[in-house]
Amino acid sequence: MSLSAAFNIINSSFRAIGAQTATISGNVANANTPGYSRQIASPITDAFNGVAVTSVTRVANAALAARVNLATSDSAAQAAISGGLAVLAQTVSDSYTATTAGAQQNGNSPFALLANFRVALSTYEAQPSSITAAQAAVTAAGQVTSSLNAGAAAVTQVRTQADQSIAQAVGTVNTLLAKFHAVNNSIISGLGSGENVGGLQDTRDSIVTQLSQQMGITTSLNPNGSMSIFTDNGATLFQNAPSNVTFAPSGTLGPNQTGTQLYINGQQITGSSTNTPLQSGAIAGLLQLRDTIAPQYQAQLDQVAGNLITAFQETDQSITTTGLPPLPGLFTTQGATSVPPSPTWAGLANSIVVNPNVDAAQGGNAFLLRDGGISDTADQNYTYNSSGQSGYTGRLTQMVSALTSPMSFSSGAGLGASASITDYSNASVSWLQGANQQASGAAAYQSSLQTQASSALNNATGVNLDNELTNMLTIESSYTASAKLLTTVSGMLKTLVNAV
Amino acid sequence: MSILNTSLSGMLSNTNWLTAIAQNVANANTTGYKNVQTYFSALVNSSQNFESQFSGVSTTSRAMNSLQGQNMQTSSTTDLAVQGAGFFLVSNSNGNIYLTRNGSFVPDAAGNLVNAAGYYLMGTPVAQQGVALNSLSGLVKINIASGGDASIASTAATLTANLPSNTAAVAGPTPASNSPSSQFTAETSLVAYDNLGSPNTINVYFTKTATGTWEATAYDASAAAAGGGFPYSSGPLTTQTLTFNPNNGKLSSGSPMILTVPNGQTLTINLGQTTQLASNFAVTSVNINGNAPGTITDVSVGQDGTLSFNYGNGSSTPVYKVPLAKVASPDNLNSVLGDAFQANPVSGAPQVGIAGTGGLGTINSSALEQSTVDLATELSNMVEAQSSYEANSKVFQAGAKILQVLNNIQA
Repeated sequence: MSLSAAFNIINSSFRAIGAQTATISGNVANANTPGYSRQIASPITDAFNGVAVTSVTRVANAALAARVNLATSDSAAQAAISGGLAVLAQTVSDSYTATTAGAQQNGNSPFALLANFRVALSTYEAQPSSITAAQAAVTAAGQVTSSLNAGAAAVTQVRTQADQSIAQAVGTVNTLLAKFHAVNNSIISGLGSGENVGGLQDTRDSIVTQLSQQMGITTSLNPNGSMSIFTDNGATLFQNAPSNVTFAPSGTLGPNQTGTQLYINGQQITGSSTNTPLQSGAIAGLLQLRDTIAPQYQAQLDQVAGNLITAFQETDQSITTTGLPPLPGLFTTQGATSVPPSPTWAGLANSIVVNPNVDAAQGGNAFLLRDGGISDTADQNYTYNSSGQSGYTGRLTQMVSALTSPMSFSSGAGLGASASITDYSNASVSWLQGANQQASGAAAYQSSLQTQASSALNNATGVNLDNELTNMLTIESSYTASAKLLTTVSGMLKTLVNAV
Repeated sequence: MSILNTSLSGMLSNTNWLTAIAQNVANANTTGYKNVQTYFSALVNSSQNFESQFSGVSTTSRAMNSLQGQNMQTSSTTDLAVQGAGFFLVSNSNGNIYLTRNGSFVPDAAGNLVNAAGYYLMGTPVAQQGVALNSLSGLVKINIASGGDASIASTAATLTANLPSNTAAVAGPTPASNSPSSQFTAETSLVAYDNLGSPNTINVYFTKTATGTWEATAYDASAAAAGGGFPYSSGPLTTQTLTFNPNNGKLSSGSPMILTVPNGQTLTINLGQTTQLASNFAVTSVNINGNAPGTITDVSVGQDGTLSFNYGNGSSTPVYKVPLAKVASPDNLNSVLGDAFQANPVSGAPQVGIAGTGGLGTINSSALEQSTVDLATELSNMVEAQSSYEANSKVFQAGAKILQVLNNIQA
C-alpha cells in the first residue's frame, strides 16, 4: 500500500458517501409522498479496499402490495354497489316514527302510498255517495302509480349510470394500461443498463393500485423486471403489451334491456354466461348493480304493478253464457285492452297509470270507482252497480279486501311466491333498505380494510425519518473521518516535499 | 584516470534515475501508466587475482508493466479496466496492433471505441466463433453505432396457473370444436412476438372435461368472431388434454403445449408448474421470450469481455468479444506513445484469449486503471538520487584535487 493508494481510497469513499447522501436526501424529501418506497444505497468494498456504491435497492413488499390491491378492488366494488343502492333507497325514504295504525303514512315508498290508498278507499267505502272521498281515493291511487313509476325510473337511472360508469372505467383501464406499458418499458430498459429505477417502480406500483380500483387484478414479476397483470379471473391485462379491454355502452337501459359485457382481447370476461366472471373492482360492482341488484328491485316493482292491475280488474257482470274476459279497472297501462298475464309483467312498473276514465282531472268520473265500468264507459257489461244506487259499496268492499288478500308473485323477484300486495310491497321496501344498509356497512368495512392494508404497506416500505437521520449522522461522521484522512495524507506528502 | 570516469558515470546514472522519477511524477495520474523502475549495475572492466578494474555504473530503466493499478469507478460503461495480467488489443489509425491498459474508451464520430490516446479497441464479433490464440487475425474495430433496431421472435414460454378443481365439468362443445356454443371454464392470454417483432395475442382456454382432466386450447386472438369469442375464423393453434394427479393436484401429463405463432416461430409453452387445486382460477406467472423491436440505448461489457447492445425494449444482445492478450515478459514490452506497447522477441509474442481464462484477468466496466506511481516513493527516491548525485560530485571533486596535486608536483 502507498500514499497514492490512500488518496484513491479516500476518493472512492467520497464518491460512495455522495451516493449514500443522495439516496437519503431522496428518502427524506419523499417522506410524505404517497406510494414512495424507501431506497437503500449499499456500499461494497472494491478489489483495492476502496468502497463503491454499485446498486441502490428499493424496499418492496410484494405480498403487502398485493394485499393493498385486493383490498382496493373489494372496497371499490362495494362502494359502487352502495352508491347505486343509496340512489334507489331515496325512493323509499319512509319515516317510520310518525306511523300509527290507520293514520296517513309519511313517505313516498309504494308501501306507504298503498297503505294511504287503502285508508282512502276505506273512507270512501264508509261514505260511498261523497264525491270528495271518491276523488281522494283516486288521488291516492294516482300516488301509488307515481311511486311505482318513480321507483322504476330510478332503477333505469341507476342501471344507465352504472353502464356509463363501466364505460368510463374501461376507458380509465385502457389509459392506465397504456401508461403502464411506457413505464414498464422504461424499467426494463433501465434495469438492463443498470440505472436506478426506484422512482419508475413507484410509478408503476401506483398505476397498478389505480387499476385495482377498477378491476380485481393479480400481478407477477418476470426475470427481466417486467410486470404482468392478470384480472382476478385469470384474463391477461398486460403481458409485454397491453390487452385490449372493450365495452360497448348501451345508452339508456330500460326494463327488459340487458347491457353488454366486458371483453378482453375479444373474449368475454364478465356476466353469467362465463364460468369464471370478474370478481371485484368498481367494474364488477357496477356490473352486479346493473345486472343483478337493480333488475331484482325492478322485478319486485313489476310484480306489485302487475298484481295491482290484476287485483283491480273488472269482470263480466252481465249474465251471459259465454263470459267476457276481465278488463283492467282502476289500474291500467296506456291503451291496454286486456289484463296482462304474469309472464309479461316486466316493465309494468314503468307504465302503470290510473285509468283516465276515473280521474276527474282527465275528464273522468270518480264515482266509477264505486259503480264499476271503468275499463270501458260505453260497455255496461262491466258495471257492478247496475241499479245506480248511491249507497252501493259492494265493489268498494271487494277492492279494500283485494289489497290484503294473498296474491301470487313470481319467486324470481326473491320475495316469496304468495303474499298480499301490501305485505309484498312492504317486504320489497325492507329488502331495499336492508340491502342498502348492508352495502354501506360492507363498503365502510372494506374501506377500513384498505386503509389498514395501505398503512401496513407504508410501515413496511415507507420512509422512517428517524432511521434516515440516524443514517445521515453515521454518513456525516464517516465523511468527516475521510476528510481528516485526506488532510493527514496530504500533510505527509507535504512533509516529504519540504524535505527535498 | 578512472576515478573521474567512475564518478562521472555515477552522476550520469543518478541523472537517469531522476529523469525516470520525473517521468513517474509527471504520470502520477495517467490512466494505465506503469511506473518506471531504474536499476543500477556496477561496471567492471576486469577482475583478476583480487584486483578489480572498476569503471563506474550504468542504469537500466524498465517499465513495471506487470504491476496492477487500482481501479477507479467511473460513470461510463465503456471505461474498461483489466484486473489481471492481460492487455487490451488496440490499433492505431494505420491498423497496427498494440497492447494497452489504458481503457478510457469512448465512441468516435463513426461509433468506433477509441481511447484517450487515440487507439481503437479491437475485438471479435460474437458471430465469429471463438478467439484465435496466438493470432491477431480476425480482429475488427469495435463499433457500437452498428446496432440498429432488433427484435426476437418468441420460441419459449412458461404459463403457471391454478385450475379450480371444484368446478363442474363443461358439458357440450369445448373450445377445441370451435363451435359458436363452445363453453370453457377459464381463459387467459399471452403475447408472443412473430418474426417481425409484432405482438400476437394468443388466447388460451382451459376447459374441465372430467374430474382431473382438462382440455387446453390455444387460439389466435385476432381470429376471434366479431363481437368476441367463438367461433374463431381459423381453427385452434393447438389443443391437448391435461391430466392432474388426484393425490397432490400436480400436472401429470399434457405439458408442454407446442404451437406455431402466426407468422412466427414454433412456441413451446411449458405448463409444468400448473396445478389443479380447490381454489379459484388464477394465473401465477406468464413468462415468454422474444422482444418487440427496440432501438439501442447503451452498451454494457461483462467481466468476460462480452460487449452487449442494450435495447429500449429491455433486451440485450451480445455483439462483440473484447479479447485480452498477455506476453511472457510484460516488463520487456516496447513502449510507444500513449501508454501502448508493442511485443518484441524479448517480451514474447502476444497470446490472445477471452478475459477470465488463462490468467488473462477480467474486465471491469465503468472503471479505469489508475497509474501505479506512488508519489511518496518517488519523492523519497528523489532525495536519495539527489544525495547520491552530490556524493558522486564530491568524489569527482576529490579526484580533481588529486589531479591538481599531481600537476603541482610536476610543476
